[in-house]
Amino acid sequence: MTTVTTVVGAAAPTPGPLAGGLIRRLNVLTGVVLGLLLAVAAYWLCEEFLPEPDTGNHKVDATTTITLVTWAIGFLIGVGAFIGPFRWLTGRDLSHEDEMFLAGKDQGVSRYFRFTTDHKVVGIQYLVAAMALFAVGGTMAMIIRTNLAAPGSQLLGPTQYNTTVGLHGIIMIIATIIMVSGPFGNFILPIMIGARDMAFPRLNALSFWILFAAIPVLLSAFFLGGIPTGWSAYAPLSDQAPPGMDAFLVTIVLFAISSAVAGANITTTAVSMRARGMTWVRVPIFVFGTVTSVALALIAFPMFMVAMILLAMDRTMGATFYVASHGGNGWLYSNLFWLMGHPEVYVILLPAFAVLLELAPVFARKPLFSINAAIFGISGIVGLSLFVWAHHMYMAGWAPELNGPFMVTTEIISVPTGLLILVLLGTIWRGRIWMRLPVMAVYAVLWNFIIGGITGIYLSDIPVDEATHGSMFVTAHFHYTLMGGALTGAIGGLAYWFPKMTGRMLDERYGKIGFWLAQVGFNVTFLGMFMVGLAGQPRRVADYDSMFAAGNLVSTAGAYVIGIGMLVFLYAVLHSWRSGVPASSNPWGAKTLEWQVPTPVPLENFAVLPVVTSDFYGYGEEDQDDGPPDGTGPELVLVGSSAATAAGLTVGGGRAEPTAATSMPTGGEPS
Amino acid sequence: MTVTESLPGAAAAPEPDDDRPAWRRPPVFPILVIWAGLTVLLGLFAYFVPARLMGEPASDRMLEVQTTFTAFSLASAPVAGLVWAVTLYSLVGWRHKGTEMPTESGHPLRGHGRTQLIWVLLSAVLCLFLLVWGLVLLNPPQTAADAAAPPLVVDVTGQQWTWTFAYPGSEPGTSQGEAAGEPVQTDTLYLPVGRRVVFHVTSKDVVHSFWVGPMAVKVDANPGETTVVDVTPNKVGVFPIRCAELCGLYHAQMQTTVHVVGPAEFDSWLTTLRASAPGPVGPSPEATP
Repeated sequence: MTTVTTVVGAAAPTPGPLAGGLIRRLNVLTGVVLGLLLAVAAYWLCEEFLPEPDTGNHKVDATTTITLVTWAIGFLIGVGAFIGPFRWLTGRDLSHEDEMFLAGKDQGVSRYFRFTTDHKVVGIQYLVAAMALFAVGGTMAMIIRTNLAAPGSQLLGPTQYNTTVGLHGIIMIIATIIMVSGPFGNFILPIMIGARDMAFPRLNALSFWILFAAIPVLLSAFFLGGIPTGWSAYAPLSDQAPPGMDAFLVTIVLFAISSAVAGANITTTAVSMRARGMTWVRVPIFVFGTVTSVALALIAFPMFMVAMILLAMDRTMGATFYVASHGGNGWLYSNLFWLMGHPEVYVILLPAFAVLLELAPVFARKPLFSINAAIFGISGIVGLSLFVWAHHMYMAGWAPELNGPFMVTTEIISVPTGLLILVLLGTIWRGRIWMRLPVMAVYAVLWNFIIGGITGIYLSDIPVDEATHGSMFVTAHFHYTLMGGALTGAIGGLAYWFPKMTGRMLDERYGKIGFWLAQVGFNVTFLGMFMVGLAGQPRRVADYDSMFAAGNLVSTAGAYVIGIGMLVFLYAVLHSWRSGVPASSNPWGAKTLEWQVPTPVPLENFAVLPVVTSDFYGYGEEDQDDGPPDGTGPELVLVGSSAATAAGLTVGGGRAEPTAATSMPTGGEPS
Repeated sequence: MTVTESLPGAAAAPEPDDDRPAWRRPPVFPILVIWAGLTVLLGLFAYFVPARLMGEPASDRMLEVQTTFTAFSLASAPVAGLVWAVTLYSLVGWRHKGTEMPTESGHPLRGHGRTQLIWVLLSAVLCLFLLVWGLVLLNPPQTAADAAAPPLVVDVTGQQWTWTFAYPGSEPGTSQGEAAGEPVQTDTLYLPVGRRVVFHVTSKDVVHSFWVGPMAVKVDANPGETTVVDVTPNKVGVFPIRCAELCGLYHAQMQTTVHVVGPAEFDSWLTTLRASAPGPVGPSPEATP
């Protein structure tokens, strides 16, 4: 299996100009400049030439929408996202030197500020973007909790409060969607499956830079009158909202495109670029969880995009999809929204859970307990998650006959979810738990997610929903799943892969202090919120009755503890990234492929592509005898284009010694 | 914890002088003990805490909801207890001492068919229990009294950011005692205790949600649609009505109260209201049942 292939008969692509081409002058700054210039031009053209409608403020909304979309397109052109298509249009193609430049070869730090195609660069970009989004969204959470510390709306006016709640929501949703599939799905996943890059490296960069372009669009909502709707943007409230809503809907459309591009890319990579011998039962469970998650997003997110496009037509052109007085209906919106909204919860949860399933065997030093159960659990969740959306609409009055069926599908989803819990428990069962920071996330999630899951079962029950729907109970429930479950899992993943991604160990002392402070604060915050929710406090309110004062004060105090904990953790991350202890290539003694390549990972990852003969969870199995003859023991045979292939050399000694995993040759730059 | 000290692979073998049955030996026995303890604690919590946090019920429906909540909590107690018992035990019993990587691996266990089967079956049975319970309560049978007495119909209209309640005019022959007269509107809801009320809920602008917490009454108010919800208040008192769907600027302030009073007091209140009404107020067109 050679990796250098020559396609006989195909004409070599016409090389583009060498060093000095336009491609080498573009970066994030040129993107911003071009984006702003085009946006200003678009704004002027709209002001000048768009007709003034007789009714409504459609012109303002149309101008805002067009300006923001133009910004995004201008930015993407300016950052160099369309350089390939432009070349094709002129009948040329990218030369090998161009591709190497795009991959960020020999560029140092500046490659992080360019349209760089190397999957590891994109992974780091996603990691920084996710952390920045969490910082912004977390600050908003602190502002919200400060406002609610006591009755009487302590800090904000109603417009500011509603906007803060809405932006906190959507920023955290975007951040949690990208927090695993972005950093680890891009940096780790290709190495994990033995690939040299993603299937579509330029699409990979494109997905990140679309997201990047969307962030200022979203934040501009603050200066455009805000969004009074929360992130769910229910119509017809969103029809009558100020131009901030246009910023919101442009953001959603951009993010939907970004996640579709990323999802198609990750799915294709995992389906078609796995190392030889890596059958689906040998695929690391993290890959399985991430791929199913992004594939689910491919189905789910277009729903939201369509809902937003219809909303944009309502707002900018006087269409009336959601306007009841003109034959529209808000239930159309809420159905489209939740068709995305519930699968989206699992889009967030699955990769985070897969991270935990991936690192539990490493730190329990034993195999994953039943990968089949894990795959059944993940697949069951993915399948069912498409058929549960209307449990968010039990109380909407829409199709009451369907409430029963949706209750059935919703409650059945607890069975595959329970299987994942069983796999985690079975994996730590009689292990040798090496209590390092990553595995602590498993423990925190086993606590948080049980609470989040059980409260979800209450909410799935229609009679209980009569008392809890739309209350703070719901808010507390989904924070237990998305923050206590998913975000905690992602933090475990960060602690686990930090040495591979940055070359340094994450400071465990400050990391642990920050992690556990945040966990304790988290439980205090949301237990307080369960209390006031049960007592009847609606969610998303800027003010509340004095009967809810005690619980809210508890929540606010807990929230500050989360804030302090997260700051300590952030300090640990930043400090370790700059000046932490240098990490060896495999500090956890893990068996998956990403730990078998050197740190820092060279461009294109593998000098020779690995061949896989077993799965990666054979902890303890090699101790029993010298590798079972049926090939179930871990065995890494390296075959590639190097001289090693010609000589028929298998590296690692065929049967893996316990040290075989670490004895692979360091990869160099491929020729 | 002797098991953790033994070699992997040999871990399943009992100690030579240990003739206790498997479930009496670690790790099973200590886990069972922790599980039992946690289940009792969680069960007590489930029985006493959530329903009290929800406050005194003001309708039979709310009582059902609270009972459901308590029942589900009790059913969840052993599940959460089991998960946490295993995790708690693992922190002590299976923890590797020190920060260096363990030199030996754990017991190489790749699944356990019987455990997986039992786990799936048990979770399916629990799920079935929740489903049957929920589906039975979903459509509560109408009692004979409900069928006999025609309900009081109240039209509820949400608009940013206030609620309006309209009482229709009395219909001859079906009147259950409310004073005869024209339809009237008010922004404070009065209901007679012990009589079934049917709310016809709609909205003038955006989506609101009509929520009488202590009665477990909740339904969205949708523009252009009328949704129906009914309840029989069983407790005299004043209860909050809140909007449960974010509806714009003053969503938090969109609340009022419902006064549940005796039938006689209700009649006199309605009479006074009709007398003080500036004139006949027709029912709003979209709120006609």
